[in-house]
Amino acid sequence: MNIVFDRSQFVSNPALRFVSYAVIALILSIIHIVFLRFLAVSSVTPDLLLILTVWIALAEGQFVGMFAGFLCGLLFDVVSADVPGSNALSKTIAGFVAGYFYREGFAMQTIGSYRFLLLVALSGSVHNLLYFFFYVKPMQISFPMFFLKYGVATTLYTTVAAAFPMLIVNRRKEW
Amino acid sequence: MQRFIDFVVRFKNYIALCALVVMSFSMMSFGNLSQLGGFRAVIVGSIGWLQSFFAWIPNPVALKSENLALRELNLQLSLESSRSRQAIVENATLRKMLELPNMTEYRLLAADVVGKTTTQLRNYATINKGTADGVKDGMCCITDAGLVGIVIGASDHYAVVQLLLNRDTRVSARVQRSRVDGILVWEGETTISLKNVPKSYDIQAGDIVLTSSYSARYPANIVIGRITQVADENQSLFRRVVVEPAVNFATLEQVFVVEYLPGVERTDLEARVEERMRRPVTP
Repeated sequence: MNIVFDRSQFVSNPALRFVSYAVIALILSIIHIVFLRFLAVSSVTPDLLLILTVWIALAEGQFVGMFAGFLCGLLFDVVSADVPGSNALSKTIAGFVAGYFYREGFAMQTIGSYRFLLLVALSGSVHNLLYFFFYVKPMQISFPMFFLKYGVATTLYTTVAAAFPMLIVNRRKEW
Repeated sequence: MQRFIDFVVRFKNYIALCALVVMSFSMMSFGNLSQLGGFRAVIVGSIGWLQSFFAWIPNPVALKSENLALRELNLQLSLESSRSRQAIVENATLRKMLELPNMTEYRLLAADVVGKTTTQLRNYATINKGTADGVKDGMCCITDAGLVGIVIGASDHYAVVQLLLNRDTRVSARVQRSRVDGILVWEGETTISLKNVPKSYDIQAGDIVLTSSYSARYPANIVIGRITQVADENQSLFRRVVVEPAVNFATLEQVFVVEYLPGVERTDLEARVEERMRRPVTP
């Protein structure tokens, strides 16, 4: 049985796109848990699901971006033994922020340019600000210091990781 | 009705945002994953299986660190080996003389660390022993160096251990030399600190910190680490006491699960007394 990938069908069929996003989110969360320890720098790793959330918000709009962020966050909360809802909340807000920059028909132009990195950095900052605020709550340490140390580092690492999808989309545009 | 529908359509993004935020907060207040019961065991089991499947992939950074640690350990052990031979003889003689009661020996269960989740500051380890081997929630894990953490979830063949370097860590601790008590908390990276130690108490850098008998979660007298820094903080009655953990978490490969759970009778009594203290006093 031959399975032929029809790109036009993928573009025009929202259900097919959403199923693809779900599969990608599942794969990324497994990569995050199992393999990302090899790339950890002082326990800081890039947030792959945040990159996916920003991508979906830019490709599908703010409304879908928020739900994508919520579901990605919830998935990550479940697989990472974190407090359920903490990632869901921060990724929902990240999707909301990224969705402000949605322009219908220009998604790939945005994702394939340096604007994507800026948006990942912006959404990542908001995401980490919220996430680490709740993260340090049970600890007796200063939130600003912890955020400056880990929040900024995580945002930068995520932004660097976002360069890979940006470059891939950018090269495809050139083809 | 039409106006309401128009309103919802117009502000659907904000309405959806509010709904999702409320749902997230509800889940956060619902608590941690341990309250999800059997569902959690499935997740722990699946992730443990995945991590053990890929455990053969070497981590060069960890290997380098482990080599260095092993060389240092080798040097220390060769020195201590000669001292221990002498100590064994002395110990046997002194015990006989003083008729000291034998210390309670806990049963230890050896386990391999098949995965470490240190990503995004979630410091957990997955071990290849689970409820089928007798591991239960609340049991603590140690190595030959000292305290590693506590089991927070277990499936049939795997368990997740919350490491000492975790935001939820609270260990009732005692300084071995001066018997000063405090609470150990994590402060990020590999730093833990002993809290609630007044300035007037006798604490010095180099002192060994052990688990205290006040703890309802950990057995007493397990080595936690060594004090590396003692500083008086301005505008505070307490000292800042930094403790270096005895365990090297970067090279953690094998642990022992201590088959010890705090006594139900003790925790029940403490809970009852606390409840009684809260009640208003009636004349």
